[in-house]
Amino acid sequence: MNKLRTGGFHTGMILLSLLWLGPVIWVVVMSTRSFDDIAAHGVGSLPRSFTLDTYRQAWTDGGELRALINSMLVTIPSVALSLGLAAMAAFALSRFRIPGRRTILLLMLAGNLLPPQILLIPVSKFSELTGLYDTLWALIAVQVGFGLGFYTFVLHGFMRDLPGEIQEAATIDGAGTAQIFTRVMLPLTRPALAALGALSFTWIFNDLLWAITVLRTDDNMPITPALLGLQGQFVSSWNVIAAGTVIAAVPTVAVFLRFQRHFVSGLALGAVK
Amino acid sequence: MSDFDPGRRRFLGHLGLAGLGALGASSFLSACASSASGPTASNSSGAVTIQSNLSSPQAKAAMEKLIANFNTQGKGTASLNTIASETFRTQLPTYLTSANPPDLYTWYAGSVANDYASRDLLLDVSDVWKSLGDYPQSLRTLSTDASGKQIFVPMNNYWWGFFYRKSNFAKWGVQEPKTWTDFLALCETLKSKGIPPIGIGLGDTPWVASAWFDYLNIRINGAPFHRELLAGKQRFDDPKVKAVFTRWREALPYFDPKGKAYPFQEATTALLAGKTGMFLIGTFFADAAPKDALGDLDFFRFPIIDPAVPLAEEAPTDGFFASAKTANPTGAKALLTYLSGVEAQEAYVKASSGIVLPANPKAKASDSPLVVKGKAMLDEAKELTQFFNRDSSDALQPTADTALTKFIDKPDQIDAILREWQAGAEKVFKG
Repeated sequence: MNKLRTGGFHTGMILLSLLWLGPVIWVVVMSTRSFDDIAAHGVGSLPRSFTLDTYRQAWTDGGELRALINSMLVTIPSVALSLGLAAMAAFALSRFRIPGRRTILLLMLAGNLLPPQILLIPVSKFSELTGLYDTLWALIAVQVGFGLGFYTFVLHGFMRDLPGEIQEAATIDGAGTAQIFTRVMLPLTRPALAALGALSFTWIFNDLLWAITVLRTDDNMPITPALLGLQGQFVSSWNVIAAGTVIAAVPTVAVFLRFQRHFVSGLALGAVK
Repeated sequence: MSDFDPGRRRFLGHLGLAGLGALGASSFLSACASSASGPTASNSSGAVTIQSNLSSPQAKAAMEKLIANFNTQGKGTASLNTIASETFRTQLPTYLTSANPPDLYTWYAGSVANDYASRDLLLDVSDVWKSLGDYPQSLRTLSTDASGKQIFVPMNNYWWGFFYRKSNFAKWGVQEPKTWTDFLALCETLKSKGIPPIGIGLGDTPWVASAWFDYLNIRINGAPFHRELLAGKQRFDDPKVKAVFTRWREALPYFDPKGKAYPFQEATTALLAGKTGMFLIGTFFADAAPKDALGDLDFFRFPIIDPAVPLAEEAPTDGFFASAKTANPTGAKALLTYLSGVEAQEAYVKASSGIVLPANPKAKASDSPLVVKGKAMLDEAKELTQFFNRDSSDALQPTADTALTKFIDKPDQIDAILREWQAGAEKVFKG
């Protein structure tokens, strides 16, 4: 009876994971088919051809190398900057009796509830006014600005629950505010920072909306608009797009594998607060 | 893959609406925008930027080649900037209204360009047209705005028609129809052989149905009525419009029932595999065909319904316009002159795989039988229209998509559908 249950469980889970992996496998298979094969038999048919030339096309014709570099140039500073600023803000808001700290926090959270779509035009016009339009700086600024509220909120919840005695002990030992922040609080906040870092990396890396709002030169485009650029006006080479998608997924998959543990804990971060 | 499309399209559609909002707000915002000195403002001798939506690999390569050629000629320098066509469509209003816009843009002739011109966003390119004296009058009219100046330089156009595989028509023993009666008879023959006669692809690409509306309207009511209707000067609940749908209903039983589910690219696959008989589509569909099938393709003109109505055909025209705010109007015009020349147009036609006709009458089109036949068909036409959205606006297109898809589903509710369409169109025209 017990064996039967285990067997049933495994069969069910294998089927479920196949259901999840199905689209991924489909994309990988499609990326190895030739265009004529897809055109003659449709995107859903079984492969009748095999080629890896699609990857070359996506890499060189699609300019994916340049796009990946741009993505990294935006993502890494954005993650570092937004987490750094959010950690400082969260430290101040959770550890000091700043007047109106609750209002500040709620305001930051409220900003997150606004749908970003309604801010597209103000952001685009503002980046023009500041002269940052069509530069990667504009994208970094936007990503930092829009991430800050949420990250501060999460880190604030985490830091608030750290025991106050640690901070008092450090104060008695002669540590100043800056020292307490860098040498006591930050190391203790590491799990939350790692989880948020992994999450924000995927969010910023996969963002399309802001990239096409503040950028207009193809050499500046990160990977997501570059993938979109593989589509033609009417007809698209789905095999090349599939190959480009596989390439574009590599960095996020790598980050996910590296920080897998934190992802799960990250999802639970807000749950118990 | 196409399953992912609707979400993205809808999402980009919203972006598009946001973009249109930008236009409305531009008059208010231009005050602050112009006070910002663009950091990259090019001086009058700087490179001309051309913002291109030709993102398919062949067309992109063709454009790169043209720009490289221009740069070796010493008449100025230009740089090409290719943006995904879907992104370009939604961002174009933002580009044009920005304080430091790109100089040149690929886009559509006709009401779309005129609409931007009426907002003073486009450069007067009448100078360029002085050297285009041999262009046909129809293209000149298409490139002229309401105030009588030219604001557009056409690059090429293409045609729509009923495409089919020669080998399949031979196998089924059928001929190209000339009139509507012949056409319905052909459909009946194909249906009796168990083949869905008329292919269509409306899933994801509902705008394909507008070709049917356009063609039936210009065959029954004529091109002038069609233009007035799309400009808001006639009503969609007019009995003349209803007559269009009465004709359409005669052909409706012959439509491929699967066509509602898949996009036109898959409808192309179905046509090539002999699963449908023929397909009313623009020549761009050939890009979705495997190379070995191209030689087997042929087409016939949309059948004549009323011989008294002057013959009109759909010929969407693509080309360029320039921003009114360009820092280098001389350079922009030099590039436009080059792009409208015989050499550039022939090079483009040769390098891009698409079946297109160059706008310059002296430039030689490809000499494949298909292109020769297409050119002859357009030359024979008394009037040219473009396509639903190009003759009206991108904002009116969704109202057509809704109405036409509903009609194909429930043809007996046509009166209600037309009333709704008129209401939707009025909202669009009121802005």
